[in-house]
Amino acid sequence: MQLARVIGTVVATVKTPGLQGVKLLVIQPLDRHQRPVGSQLVAADAIHMAGPGELVYFVAAREAAQAMPDPFVPVDHAIVGIVDAVTPLAGDESPRDRRRGQRP
Amino acid sequence: MKLGRVVGTVVSTINAPDFDGRTLLLCDLLDPSGKPAGGYLIAVDTVGAGAGETVLILDEGNSARQVLGAPGAPIRTLVVGIVDAVTGEEAAAAASQLSGATHPQSRLKSG
Repeated sequence: MQLARVIGTVVATVKTPGLQGVKLLVIQPLDRHQRPVGSQLVAADAIHMAGPGELVYFVAAREAAQAMPDPFVPVDHAIVGIVDAVTPLAGDESPRDRRRGQRP
Repeated sequence: MKLGRVVGTVVSTINAPDFDGRTLLLCDLLDPSGKPAGGYLIAVDTVGAGAGETVLILDEGNSARQVLGAPGAPIRTLVVGIVDAVTGEEAAAAASQLSGATHPQSRLKSG
């Protein structure tokens, strides 16, 4: 699982039958300091509660389809949780944070 | 399986039901010398791993679901062990170059 920021929604009226009723969101994967990393993706929202701007975590590959009510759907990325907080443990700072002398 | 270091926890109240009651650990991936290999994973804890520990990460869905006894869970990544030591000549050589700059728990010995 990885962290991501929801940055948009996808509306598609014509879909393969398995995707009916599946909410699709555009996400930007993040590194563990919550900086964008890699390409933006379209992910299914398995919890039906994520929205733009939220910090979420997602699963990829076969596990994405497992997250859906019907596990035999053509879904390859799925949001499975909304992040309340990422708690860094003591001594864990990015170089940028050290320069600033503070935590994000 | 992969080596990782626990660097944080992810707190989430709204999640897929299979994640209820599970601890999510943010783990940096390590190479065998204990140096960050780049990248990270969010893994479900099964062993009670804590801050700064070097851990064994299972990153394969069928095995993960078997370990959890949850056949339909959308879970692929688990922390399945706490590493005491990594031995081997290459690992030790890499570690000596680092001169113990990583963390005390990755004690590396020559094979």
